[in-house]
Amino acid sequence: MLQEIAFSAREAMAVGTSFYLGALFFGVVMILLRKPYPRAIMFAVLAAGFTCQTLGLNLRGAEIKGCPLGNIFEISQFIVWSLVLLYFIIGPAFRLRLLGLFTAGLAGLLSSIALLIPAWDGSYPAGIFGGNPWIELHAALAIFSYGIFAIVALVSAMFLIQQRGLKKKQFKGVYQHLPSVQQLDIMAKRLLITGVLVLSAALLFGAVFWINHPERVPVFKLSVTCLVWAGYLAVMVLRLQQRLVTRHHALASIALFIFALASLWPVQSARETDPLDEPAALLAPE
Amino acid sequence: MSEVLQSLFVLGSTHHEAPLEVRERMAITPAIAAALRQELNELEGVRECLVVNTCNRLEVYGLANSKNIETIVRDQLCTHSGVSRALLDAHSFWHTNLDVLQHALEVSTGLDSQMIGETDILGQMKNAYADARAAQCTGVVLNRLFEKSFQAAKSARTQTRITRGQVSIGNVAVDLASRIFGHLRDSRVLLLGSGDVAEKTAQSLKSRGVADITVASRTFENSHALAHRLGGAAIELSDFSAQLKRFDIVISSTTAPNMLIERAMIASAIKQRPDRPFFLIDVALPRDIDPTADSLENVYLYNLDDLSAIANENLELRKAEIEQARTILKGHAWNLWLQLRRRTIMAEH
Repeated sequence: MLQEIAFSAREAMAVGTSFYLGALFFGVVMILLRKPYPRAIMFAVLAAGFTCQTLGLNLRGAEIKGCPLGNIFEISQFIVWSLVLLYFIIGPAFRLRLLGLFTAGLAGLLSSIALLIPAWDGSYPAGIFGGNPWIELHAALAIFSYGIFAIVALVSAMFLIQQRGLKKKQFKGVYQHLPSVQQLDIMAKRLLITGVLVLSAALLFGAVFWINHPERVPVFKLSVTCLVWAGYLAVMVLRLQQRLVTRHHALASIALFIFALASLWPVQSARETDPLDEPAALLAPE
Repeated sequence: MSEVLQSLFVLGSTHHEAPLEVRERMAITPAIAAALRQELNELEGVRECLVVNTCNRLEVYGLANSKNIETIVRDQLCTHSGVSRALLDAHSFWHTNLDVLQHALEVSTGLDSQMIGETDILGQMKNAYADARAAQCTGVVLNRLFEKSFQAAKSARTQTRITRGQVSIGNVAVDLASRIFGHLRDSRVLLLGSGDVAEKTAQSLKSRGVADITVASRTFENSHALAHRLGGAAIELSDFSAQLKRFDIVISSTTAPNMLIERAMIASAIKQRPDRPFFLIDVALPRDIDPTADSLENVYLYNLDDLSAIANENLELRKAEIEQARTILKGHAWNLWLQLRRRTIMAEH
C-alpha cells in the first residue's frame, strides 16, 4: 500500500519539515505580538509534521526493506522523529511551556539541513543490517537516545534563557512563557538519566555483535560511540552527585549533544570508506 | 506673610536623584528624623518644619525667613545622616514656593513614587504630618499644604486610573518566584524583619500556595505576632544564619545599619543545596543582603530598585492617565497657592 502513495519519502519528509518550520514561525510571531502562547495549535501543527515524517520514514523503510538508518540524512530524520515523539510524551505530561516551540525549532533546523545537503542522502547497499534484528534494535535505540539527548539540549537551552532573564532582571517577552528554572533543571536531569539508560541498552545489544565479530566494527566508530556514551555517563554521575548542576549541567548537555551530532558525519564517512564494514556500521553512534 | 510664602521650601533626596547605594548611605532612622525636624524647627528663622522619611525618600519641608536657609538645612541634614555635603548636593533637589505645592501633591498621589501610582506613600505622608503636628512643628501653611495634598491625592486617584494595572512588589515577587520554582507549595520562606513591604510580599506568596513561613526579627514579640498573622513560625534573629540553607525564599526588610547576610553566608548555604535555587528579596534600606551574592550560581537576588523597575514595566499603558493626574494636581496646586496668598493679603489688612 505504501508503494501506491504518489509522493516520495523525501517529499513526505520535506512536507513534515515545512510543518515544523511553520510551527516555529507561528510561535515566534505570537510571542513577538505578545499574544497568548497557542499551545493547542502548536501541538496540532507539530502532530501534522510528525505524521508526514513518519510516513516519509515508512516509505524509505519500505524502499530499503529495513530500518532507514543507512546514511546521515536518514539518521538525522530519525533523530528529529524521536525528538518530536518525545515532545508528545513529555510536553502534555509535564506541561513544559514553550517546549513545542523549541522542539519545532530544532526539528525544523536539523531536518532542513539534512534535506538541503543531497550528499547526506547517498545510496547504500540494501540490507546493511545483515538481516540481524538485534543490530537493527541497537541502531534504532541508539538513534532514539540521540532524540532524548536532543530534547535534553533543548530543555537546557530553555534553562539558560530563563536563568539569564532572571539574572539580568528581565521580565517581559519570552521569559514569561518559559517554565521555571527548577522545573527545567529537574526535567533535564530525568531526561539525561533516561537517555543514558537507552544508549547503554543500545550499546549492550551492539556489544553482543561486536564480541562475536570484532573485525567488522571499525575502531574509529567504536571509539566515538564510547566517547559519546562516556561523556553522557560522566555528566549524569556528576549531576547525581550534585557536582555538576544548573548552568554547568545545561552547558555540558548542549556541548555534548553538539559533539554527538558533529561526530555523525566523520563516523558515517568512515563507514563509507571502510571495505570491511557493512552490518557493523551500526555500532557507530548513529 | 507674603515673605513667608516666598520661603516655603523642600529639600529632598529620592530615587530620582540618588541611586540605591547613595540612598542607603543617606538613610536615617525614625528617631533621627524626629531629631532633625525638632532641631530645624528650633532654629531661628524656621517657622514650620516636617520630615518625610521612607525607604526611597528623605524630604524636609519647611517655612523659613532666613535668606541662607538652603545652606542651613543642607548642613543639618548632612550632620544627621552622616553624608558629606558634596554627596548630598549631587543627589538632592531644592524646590521653593509653588513648586513645593506641586511636588507635595504629586508625592501624596504616588506620581513621584518609584512604583508610580502606589498608595503606601499616602499613609507615610499622613504619618509624617501627624508626627510633625503632634510635635507642634507645623503651622498654618504646612497644615494647609498637607491636608490639601491628601484631598488632592484622593481626587486624582478617583478621577483617573493611575492605579489600574498597578503591580505591587508582592505581585512581582510572586511572579519571579514562579519563574524560579514553578509551583510554590514546597517553597520555604524566611522573613527577616517585620516591615510592611515584607509582610505584604509574604502574604502574596502565601496566597499562591506557600505554606512554610518563618519570621525572624530583632524583637521576638514582633516576629511572633507576624508569624501568627501569616500562620508561620518565629525564630530568633541570631538563629537564622545557621538555618539559612533550609529556606528557598528570603525576604529581608530589617532596619539594621549593616549587612545582615554576607556573600560567604549565602555561598555556604548554597553549597549544601547546590541544585535548589535561592531567591533573595532585599527590600531593606540600607540593604541587608550583600549585592555581590547575585553573582553566585543558582542565587537570584532582587532589591527595591529591581522590583520597582519590573513593576513599572507596564508604565507605558498608564502614561496618559499619569499626565491627566498631573494636570489635575496642577489645578489643585494653583488653587492652594491662591488660597494661601489670599490669606496672606487678608492677614496684612
